[in-house]
This record gives sequence, C-alpha cells and structure tokens, in this order.
Amino acid sequence: MSPLVLVVLLSSLGLGTAMTFASSHWLLAWMGLEINTLAILPLMAQQNHPRAMEATTKYFLIQATAAAMILFASTTNAWASGQWDITYPSHPVTATITMAALAMKIGLAPTHFWLPEVLQGVSLTTGLILSTWQKLAPFALILQVANYTPPYMLTALALCSTLVGGWGGLNQTQLRKILAYSSIAHLGWMILVAQMAPQLTLIALITYIVMTTAAFLTLNNMDATKTATLASSWTKSPTLTAMACLVLLSLGGLPPLTGFLPKWLILQEVTNQGFIPTATVMALSALLSLYFYLRLTYAMSLTLFPHTFNSVTPWRMTAKRPTLLLSTTIIMTTCLLPLTPSALTLLI
Amino acid sequence: MLKVLIPTLMLFPTTWLAPKKWLWATTTSHSLIIALISLTWLNWTAETGWTLPNSYMAIDPLSAPLLVLACWLLPLMILASQNHTRTEPISRQRTFICLLISLQAFLILAFGATEILMFYVMFEATLVPTLIIITRWGNQAERLNAGTYFLFYTLAGSLPLLVALLALQNSTGSLSMIILNFNPPLALASWGDMMWWAACLIAFLVKMPLYGVHLWLPKAHVEAPIAGSMVLAAVLLKLGGYGMIRMSTILDPITKEAAYPFIVLALWGIIMTGSICLRQTDLKSLIAYSSVSHMGLVAGGILIQTPWGLTGALILMIAHGLVSSALFCLANTSYERTHSRTMALARGMQMLFPLTATWWFVANLANLALPPLPNLMGEVMIITTMFNWSPWTLILTGLGTLITAGYSLYMFLMTQRGPVPEHIKGLTPYHTREHLLITLHLLPVILLVLKPELIWGWFY
Repeated sequence: MSPLVLVVLLSSLGLGTAMTFASSHWLLAWMGLEINTLAILPLMAQQNHPRAMEATTKYFLIQATAAAMILFASTTNAWASGQWDITYPSHPVTATITMAALAMKIGLAPTHFWLPEVLQGVSLTTGLILSTWQKLAPFALILQVANYTPPYMLTALALCSTLVGGWGGLNQTQLRKILAYSSIAHLGWMILVAQMAPQLTLIALITYIVMTTAAFLTLNNMDATKTATLASSWTKSPTLTAMACLVLLSLGGLPPLTGFLPKWLILQEVTNQGFIPTATVMALSALLSLYFYLRLTYAMSLTLFPHTFNSVTPWRMTAKRPTLLLSTTIIMTTCLLPLTPSALTLLI
Repeated sequence: MLKVLIPTLMLFPTTWLAPKKWLWATTTSHSLIIALISLTWLNWTAETGWTLPNSYMAIDPLSAPLLVLACWLLPLMILASQNHTRTEPISRQRTFICLLISLQAFLILAFGATEILMFYVMFEATLVPTLIIITRWGNQAERLNAGTYFLFYTLAGSLPLLVALLALQNSTGSLSMIILNFNPPLALASWGDMMWWAACLIAFLVKMPLYGVHLWLPKAHVEAPIAGSMVLAAVLLKLGGYGMIRMSTILDPITKEAAYPFIVLALWGIIMTGSICLRQTDLKSLIAYSSVSHMGLVAGGILIQTPWGLTGALILMIAHGLVSSALFCLANTSYERTHSRTMALARGMQMLFPLTATWWFVANLANLALPPLPNLMGEVMIITTMFNWSPWTLILTGLGTLITAGYSLYMFLMTQRGPVPEHIKGLTPYHTREHLLITLHLLPVILLVLKPELIWGWFY
C-alpha cells in the first residue's frame, strides 16, 4: 500500500474516532463511526486473499447494520423528543436500540459472531487496530447512553459476553480467534460497570488496550497465527517468550499482574452495589478465559519439546521490527497493579 | 520487615550479575544470610500483639514463625535444585532462581500483610511462579495437567473469597487484620451469610488442602521439580492454614455450627489419605498424601477454634513444613540417582548409603511424630482439643496416628531395608551438599524441641 494512501486512511481513522469523541449531536457521532468503518476497510482488504475479503465484507455489513440502527434510533429519538443531543436523556426504547447497535459494533456476546471470523481474516496489525482503536468510538457513545438503558440489559450483556468469550475460546487453536474471544470476555467486564461506574469502564478499557496490544505485538513479532507455531518461538526470542507467558496470564487476570487491576475494581464496585451473585459469576467466568490463556502459555513458554519440531523452523534474521511499543506495553502489562491508586486518582 | 524484603529483592540483581561459576554459591549464601537475619523476628520483645514497622506490614507471633520458615526455605530450595538444573543453560538457571526468589518475596508480603486484601493478592501472586516452576521445570508430560489442576482448584476456591472479602469491606469499611479483631461480631444468620462464611473459608481449605478438594496436591507434588515440591509442602499449604486462622477471628459466631461438615471431612481425610499412603507405590505421591493427612489435622485444629487447637495447628504447620520438605528432598536425591519414584525399584538403600538412611530414619520418625519433636507437640495438642470437643473424635485421630506410623514404617522399609535389587549399579555417592540440605531441614526441627514457645503463636 502506498504510504500516501496509508496516511490518508490512518488519518481518517483518527478523524472518525475524534469526531465521535467530540460530537454532541447524534448525526455527527454516526458520521464519525461511518468514517471510521470506511477507513479501516481498505486496511483490512490490503492482503488480496479470499479470507481477507470475506472478513472485510463481514465487517462492513455488521458495522453498516449497526450504524444504520444507531441512525434509526437517534432519528426516532429526535422525532419523539425533538432533541438530537447525545447527552439529552433518550427514550428508553431508543436507548436500548442504540445500546444493542453499539454492542453489535464492538462485538458483545449475543451479537459477537462476526468478531472471531473477522479477526481471523486480517493481519495481526490490522487485528490490533480492530480490537483497540476501533473500540474507542463506540465506547465513547456507550458511556453516554449507558445511563438511559435498562440496567438488566447491561448485566445480561456482560454475563453473556464473559461466559461466551470464555467458552468460545476453549476449543480454538487459531491465535487470532482466541484473541477475539478474549476481547469479547474483556468487553463483558467493561460493559458490566458502564452504568454503575463509567470511570472503571474506562480503566478497564485502557488496561485491556495495553494488554491486548502487548499480546498482538508479541504474536506479530513471532509471526505466529497458530498455536503450533508458538512451540518454536523460544528459539527465536527467548526473553520475549518468557515475558509473553506473563502477558497472557495478565490477560487472564492473575494477580500480581496488571490484568487483575480492572477485575478487582469492577468486582469491588459490583459488590458494593449489592450484586454479589453477579460478581461471583463474573469472577468465576474469568476462569474459563484463563484456561485458554494458560494453554497458550503451555504451548509457548512452559513446554520445550525434547524432540524436533513438527512445524517448520522459520529462517532467523536479526529483527528489524521496532520493539519500543512492544517492550513498553509488556512492561505495562506486567507491572501496573501496584499503581492502582494512581490509576484511580487519574481517572476518577 | 524491609530489612528482609529489600535484601530479598536485591537477590534478583545478584542472580543476574553473579558470574556463571559462582551463581549457585552466591545466591545460596545471600539467601542464607537473609534467612539468618529473619530469625530476629522470633525474638519477641514487643508487649503488644503486633509489631508494626509500618501500617502496611506487621508481624505478630502467628506470622513470625511462618515468615521465618518462608525465608529459611529459599536457601534450601536453591541448594536442592543445583543438580536438577545442572544441564540447563545458564540463563535458564538464573530464571529458575529468580522464580524461587519472587516466590519468597510474595510469601513475605503475604504473611506480613496487615490488609486481608493485600494478603489475598499475594496469596494469588504465589500461584504464578509456582505454576511456572511446576509446568516449566517438571519432568514428565503430565506436569501440564498438574499445573492446570493446581491453578484451577486454587482459583475456583479463591475467586469467591475475593468477592466475599469485598463484601466484607463494604459492610465493615476496613479489611485491616489489626482493626477487624476489635469489630463487634457480625450478626450472621441468613443463608446468604452462610454462603459468605463458606466463601471465606473454602479458598483456604482448598489450599490446605481439605480432603475432597485435595486432588491437585498429589499431582502437583509428583510432577513438580524438587524446589516446587519443597515450597508447596513447606510454605504454600501453610498459606491456607494461616489465612484460615486470620479469617476465623471474623467469622466467629457461626463457625461453631457451620464448621461441622468441614471438620468431618478433615478428620475423615486423615484416615482416607493415610490409607491411600499405605498402598502407594510412588514415593513422592506417598509423601504428598501424607501431607494431606497432616494438614487435615491442622484444618481440624483451626476449625475447632480453641487456643489449644490454634497453637497445635501452628506448631504442626511449622514442624510438618520442615519435615515434609526434608522428605521430599530425600525422595529427590534418591530419584536423581535411580531415575524412578517407584519404591519397589529402589530398595535396600541402607546398604549403599548408611548416612542417608539415618536421615531417612530421622525424617520418618519426625513425620510420624516421635515424642520430643514438635510434630508430636502439635498433634497431641490438636488431638487433645478435639477430644475435649467430642470424645468420639479420638477414634478418628487415634486411628490416623496409627496409620501415619504404619505408612512411615512402610516407606522406610520399602526404601531403606531389604536386599539391594540387581539392577541398581553404580549409584553416585551422596554429595556434601545433599547432607547439608537435609541437616538444615532437620536441625531446626530438633532445636525447636529446646524452645518450642517460638512456634506457639498467640497463646504462649
């Protein structure tokens, strides 16, 4: 892809998100979402490959449907109340429709089926953009409409997402699909407190972005898209392999790693609100996700095969990829838990 | 506290910067110095129940012996792992030592924490290095299964505990162990409160482990490398007992009735796991099941909630920690020579290694609680307090003691006595390192006979 086109695409990707962030008008927010979608499509389709095309088409259809639903809901809202303001209390029905559309956009559980398929079809860097940057704009809207949606809907979405995210990833061997299911499970945690404590949603989103960036960049560095490929990763970069084990356990939410931070705060908030069974189910559903992270660490770092590999050993050259972002995110993924008070002070 | 914690953290640079040739010697001596410094914790001059170096960390007579045990064990683990990691590249040896050190740092933070949530986080934090030690440095393919069992049993037990702790924090406003003791007893009556009570205890009972949720332990012990087995048996199981003692002060009023099923399981577990030991062929598995049996007695002593029970539990925890760790070391030295854990394949060792047979003998006697040793003190205190609670428990505890003696004898006879099998040829003699290792395990046990009040906890 020519650098000029790439610059145009990436800047309009930023523009779309920034527009949604900045807008107080539903039409403008919708426009931002659409710009966002349209800008990522060529990036997804740049590998001229049937799977990439399929992924692009699926992504386009889902995002367009969700955007249309948002447009429909906001128009209906404007028709009923005469207000286009996002912050203006919306009618419960339209708020519900909007929330459903946004859930579909980010891939929350009952409407999550597109996410693993789409992520599987694109390259790891595009997948990284899809699962981090592309979540920001919808979340900006979610945090604003969460107050008007029925609380049970959010809890149902959350429980459904964490359970489906955990169960779905259990029998996957494709890394991008596993990361997609991990994304679904994490989104479930975020949406749970979107109404009770939106700041915690933000903290969870930020930590998720950091952790998943570390995971995607690690896999990108190893050129791994299958669990089997991971088995030979330690021959290429032993330190990265050792750290990747911690990154995955952090995604799984084991203390003392960063992944425990959002889970702890969210459980605390949910318990304080008196939803103790919900908190327990959420906490236990994290075990499901942990299982597939654990299996990845087994395959990658914790087992060194005594015999020769089944997979082809890749040619080793000095790494030319910049690793600044990778190392920064890995450090943040493993060491942020002691900074929990600072995170709370900064964001609440 | 920091005078031990900071040198522990400085062990990381020591490990990575020490020259290759001196790696093991440097780390062992450094950690041994830390262990010796930690002995000052046992010198109790404070008049209050706690000494508070700062508001986050404190020591009281309950945590001091466990802290010292955790510090004492690190040099022993490093000593024991030398042969096991000999064939590995040097950077992996350093990584391995780093995992052991991080484990000690987490354990100090866990036993020293004043906040229950801090204790919880550190309790969980010990999982990561232990998991890596078991699954990365274990010997057989089953170690992955063992690691999964270990992680998921513990987490499935402890995640409800997290929620329960957060709920407690919400209702009392604090989770400080120092303050919570002075709270008025919680009025617990409903089914929800019972579930809260269970959630508070089950995490620790799984870690202990209680009979019924103990399946992860033999697997983890059998598959773990020697350092993993040692730290699991000596300190990690004690985290469960320590947590239970801490939590039980808060859970007080309903524990009296609600603890029945767990006491039943604990006592029944003593018999059951003891009987499993009697027909065990695998040496490490036998020692692991014997741990479960002893910890059943500890769990019973804690759940019964009497001063004698708690003191006995603490004594037994410390004594069992040292003795079972010594037994695992002995099993490992034999495994490193014969490459088999099957007892029937390595018999008659007394003929070949008489001094080691003495170690086996002493460790076995300590394991079956021979009179002056602290193991007996702990067992007798727990058995007495149980008997006082209900005379019928004597049938179970007495039978348990008998079975313990039985399987200890079986273990000793199978490994040490009898003819030397034909296939055993050319075993390397025992190193001074290995003798030193066992001595450093058994010496504290014997010395504790002279001053047992160091491990009597609160009620001395």
